[in-house]
Amino acid sequence: MTEVRKPVEDLLTDYDIFEPEFVKDPYPSFSEIRESKCPIARTERYEGSWLPTRYEDVVAIAQEYETFTSRGILVVPPFPGQGEGAYGGVTAPPITSDPPDHHWHRRLILPVFSPQSVAKFEQGTRDLCNKLIDEVIDKGTADAAADYAQHIPVRVIATLLGVPLEMESDFTAWVRAALENILDAEGRKWARKNIIEFFLAQVAERKQNPREDDFITELMNTEVEGKVVPIEYVLGVCNLMLVAGVDTTWSAIGSCMWHMAQHPEHRKQLRDNPELWPTAIEELLRMYAPVTMARIVDHDVEFQGCPMKAGDRVLMAFPAANRDPRQFENPDEVILDREHNRHVAFGSGIHRCAGSNLARLEVRVALQTWLERIPEFELVDKTDVTWAGGQVHGPRKCLVKF
Amino acid sequence: MCAIAAPEVFGSDEMGNAIVLIDGDIPAELQAKTRRAESNCPERAIVITD
Repeated sequence: MTEVRKPVEDLLTDYDIFEPEFVKDPYPSFSEIRESKCPIARTERYEGSWLPTRYEDVVAIAQEYETFTSRGILVVPPFPGQGEGAYGGVTAPPITSDPPDHHWHRRLILPVFSPQSVAKFEQGTRDLCNKLIDEVIDKGTADAAADYAQHIPVRVIATLLGVPLEMESDFTAWVRAALENILDAEGRKWARKNIIEFFLAQVAERKQNPREDDFITELMNTEVEGKVVPIEYVLGVCNLMLVAGVDTTWSAIGSCMWHMAQHPEHRKQLRDNPELWPTAIEELLRMYAPVTMARIVDHDVEFQGCPMKAGDRVLMAFPAANRDPRQFENPDEVILDREHNRHVAFGSGIHRCAGSNLARLEVRVALQTWLERIPEFELVDKTDVTWAGGQVHGPRKCLVKF
Repeated sequence: MCAIAAPEVFGSDEMGNAIVLIDGDIPAELQAKTRRAESNCPERAIVITD
């Protein structure tokens, strides 16, 4: 698909989140908007949206879930016909849910992601990382994004869901079509169809042969107020776990690898001070927050002087909020032992990422394992790194040598 | 976040919700860590009363 892109005239009234420079590095644009007279920008592109860039505004919008609803959470509108057909009602609960249903939609999945529950994935993730490193270590070069980061979350999530790991490349293709090539409506349609059909088959198989200690089986059998949960909910949760659990964490790992390849002083700092790992991970997540979510305005409202109309889309630019100098000193600098870090890489409020503990674990283990085995490495060519952007920001090609 | 900053003071229940593990006053040796947890909570959910 070739598309002639109209040049951006004015960031404040015509930003374009899919403009190639913005995709690669959105931070200068975020900063320009944030420090302007109009820190909530507006565009008419992609059927229009608002873009708050200050920490305070992003958090306020995230907290006000009655005004800023989760009827639409993608940065672009649904593709034509998305909500129609036999399983048109399948969304991605709880991220697409509003109260009151949001409460039980979220409550049912939280136990899977508690720190205690995710800890059991640590060894498996480490083994997987080691296996991926085995494949590249003798070559002296690797694609830190495509050979390494890309394979980690998808296999962890497939393990969690109890679905075949051999289908990794299918899962990855679906997720990329659903979240990355988001302007291609046909691709999104294809991804949605595949995901729903796949999980329908998984559910059907478990109806025949229920499994012990299996996430999908347990979800299918869960009762809420005396009634077993609807199939749309089961499919929706599986859809969310796959789509939200893969591209996002993979992007975070990739960005961290890209950073570490360029910062020998940070590699050394972590080697010399392993107790810094927990704060270092939070700092890297602040700096390279991969996800931008959207909200849909419920009713006409004036927010910080902006006349928002019912149905308007608001982009929750968590990456922009995380670089706001009003909230973070030296926001564009990675300070591995940063003292005050209320970052919103995982969002804020009732939709705060349910899988954050798993994501943290994956990012930490991926970095630790790589740095233990390949302590010294650098980018092959700084100018030859490609990025995905829009909904999820992270490197897709990132060649390193060692 | 709080359980990362001050694991002796904060933990989580089976839902992953943060809970306070200590009854009453925070021991002197844990006060710095607890303040750090307070200043890193993204939900501003921690309030330390002197």
